[in-house]
Amino acid sequence: MSEVYLFQLASQRTGYLSARQTLIAQNVANANTPGFKALDLKPFSATLRETEMSMSITDAAHLTPTAQQLDPPKSQESDAATASVSGNSVNVESEMVHLGEVSRDFAEATNIKKIFHQMMMQALK
Amino acid sequence: MANFDALRASLEIAGSGLTTQSMRLRVISENIANAQSTATIAGGDPYTRQTISFESALDRASGANLVKVKQIGRDSAPFRTELDPGNPAADAKGFVKLPNVDMLTELADMREANRSYEANLQVAKQSNDLMSQTVGLLKDI
Repeated sequence: MSEVYLFQLASQRTGYLSARQTLIAQNVANANTPGFKALDLKPFSATLRETEMSMSITDAAHLTPTAQQLDPPKSQESDAATASVSGNSVNVESEMVHLGEVSRDFAEATNIKKIFHQMMMQALK
Repeated sequence: MANFDALRASLEIAGSGLTTQSMRLRVISENIANAQSTATIAGGDPYTRQTISFESALDRASGANLVKVKQIGRDSAPFRTELDPGNPAADAKGFVKLPNVDMLTELADMREANRSYEANLQVAKQSNDLMSQTVGLLKDI
């Protein structure tokens, strides 16, 4: 099971989904605020692709790599930006769809974590 | 525990949405309840319709964009008048000023407040769900 960063990846996924949930909450809460622009995160795969991998240290003379971590998710204005007269671009229906996506993906990530854990326990017992 | 902080922030945001929407419902019910409230003195102004507006407010502790009531204002629309000389609030010519409350507008507004409240409730429910799913990982260890 060495060199498998699946736990880390699953944790980053839940971190991403939590950040997205916060943005959805913001959008829904501000659905009636004049001039408020709806925000959303870039897809997880895009965030993952843009993250640089660091080299591993095989010699004492090698430079210490910076912690291999995903960039913190950045928010951007969501694409369905059809602003109303008041300048508000929140679409509550699409936010509800995003809510469903987050719920599904979060369940997936936590189940993956659970299964990895079971696999490791099987190897140990 | 950055995950939990984000989820807790989203709970807080949904909570601020619930608070402002219930405030909106309060204003609407005041308007509807006073739709026929005339002045207490002859020829005076009746109840004036209240309006509510929102603004987004940054919560520095969690870095989240909460929502709060910007102001509760008064509608500047003209009052309706009705000829009713027997009314104590009637002026010298017998006209009574009635509030500028339009029932249809209030009911439509109430519907919208209802929907927004439900949406915020949905978000709060789900944030709770996600947190308990994460805690649930510890269940069968």
